[in-house]
Amino acid sequence: MTIFNFYLFDRHGTCLYYAEWNRKKQLTMSKEEEFKLMYGMIFSIKSFASRLSPTDMKEGFLNFTTSKYKLHFFETPSGLKFIMNTDLSVGNMKDVLHQIFSSLYVEYVVKNPLCELDQPVTSELFKTKLDEYIRGLPQFPIKATS
Amino acid sequence: MSSLTGKQKSSNLEKSLGKGKPEVNIATFAVLFSEIVQYSQNRVHTVPELQNKLSELGQHVGSHLLDVLFLREKGYKREIKLLSMLIFIKSTFWKIVFGKEADKLEQANDDDRTYYIIEKEPLVNKFISVPKDKGSLNCAAFTAGIVEAVLNGANFPAKVTVHWHKGTTFMIKFDEDVIARDKMIESR
Amino acid sequence: MSRQGNRAGDPRKVNGELFTLTYGALVAQLIKDYENDEQVNKQLDKMGYNMGVRLIEDYLARANTGRCNDFRETADVIAKVAFKMYLGLTPVVSNWSAAGDEFSLLLESNPLTEFVELPPGHSNLNYSNIMCGILRGALEMVQMDVDVRFVQDTLKGDNITEIRLKFIKRLEDAVPVGED
Repeated sequence: MTIFNFYLFDRHGTCLYYAEWNRKKQLTMSKEEEFKLMYGMIFSIKSFASRLSPTDMKEGFLNFTTSKYKLHFFETPSGLKFIMNTDLSVGNMKDVLHQIFSSLYVEYVVKNPLCELDQPVTSELFKTKLDEYIRGLPQFPIKATS
Repeated sequence: MSSLTGKQKSSNLEKSLGKGKPEVNIATFAVLFSEIVQYSQNRVHTVPELQNKLSELGQHVGSHLLDVLFLREKGYKREIKLLSMLIFIKSTFWKIVFGKEADKLEQANDDDRTYYIIEKEPLVNKFISVPKDKGSLNCAAFTAGIVEAVLNGANFPAKVTVHWHKGTTFMIKFDEDVIARDKMIESR
Repeated sequence: MSRQGNRAGDPRKVNGELFTLTYGALVAQLIKDYENDEQVNKQLDKMGYNMGVRLIEDYLARANTGRCNDFRETADVIAKVAFKMYLGLTPVVSNWSAAGDEFSLLLESNPLTEFVELPPGHSNLNYSNIMCGILRGALEMVQMDVDVRFVQDTLKGDNITEIRLKFIKRLEDAVPVGED
């Protein structure tokens, strides 16, 4: 099991935070371009999924799987979008994403007077805490490769 | 002060300290303080200026807080001795206002005018990680302002500043007169 | 002495006086910095908005409530859950408009105004205006555009403090660049 990377978008589509751990492939496009495509894709899946649904979906789109990776998605009612890519053996990550929201983002970004909410997160404290949290997850272990 | 009635069925001796008024959620305070820091930040240019501004706001709070506490808790007599005043600040006052006693109270080795109150994680810094470009900013300047106003109001004029040391250290430097007066009281 | 049981306070709460006086220090500063009451009111509303935008995230992280089905449910959640959680009081929801798009929150006490008297010459100051901003900001983050204002205020001699909320429209998520 392993975790590849993590994106956090606000409701305006701004990528507030990005981090990667065991990501193997780097794209040739810029990070900005990648963020834009990621947000666009999530937006489209979300709206298409809700249009297909005959009833009001409470949670809607949660994750999708390709033959190589699994993308997990969690959105707050305020439109914050938490996205994480893992390998296929990882189960439901909704609780993990919720935890990143409630225990890390709210505590170290929302309550930090020096963080502006509509700007990318620069708080070292958030960065360190998130990294610690992710590395401590049972879903994280992968043999360290040098 | 309607909040005082109703709850106070037990005798005054039994009631716990700092329960004169309902407490509010720490998040409410945190977002208010956050706005105050940002507002002040937009009106100054440097870190020392920002700390001064926060200290001024803290002084406003401190001077009123003193009145409120003495008014409410009739049991508090005004302290006359310097050391008792410092202990009052470090323990009783800190506990009422910040929910716990301050971690430490120390006197400077080389200067009888200077004392330190040390707090590993002051309430106002709980959620703050200072970005590298603002290296020295310590928002507990606000707390320093509160302490300064309380000391001044209790007739122990002093200057209180914040420093990043063992968490946060509040450096209290008393006026010469205060020390002289205290020596007189001691020798009586 | 009965004060021996010096247990530490609840780490998720702060002293109400510290909160009230900190707010008082802010208002006093704004009165110094701005020329007239209208500008102070506006600034308080703006700062409240920013606070609301932050507070709603804390709220969503803690209270596990889903989206509200209608404005009546929103009113109930604001009064009974959010106010209780953040200010420790429960206003009464009242004075619904016929269309169900407008209601009032009635506050018997107001933690922002304890120990406060309006300074002379500031009759247009809405001392607690920050509350309107907080409600507006928080609701906007959950896709509701709502107009919030004070209609009665005990500080100004009214018997009760009344905040009026009017639903304007639902807001939609931002569409990504290059799409419709």
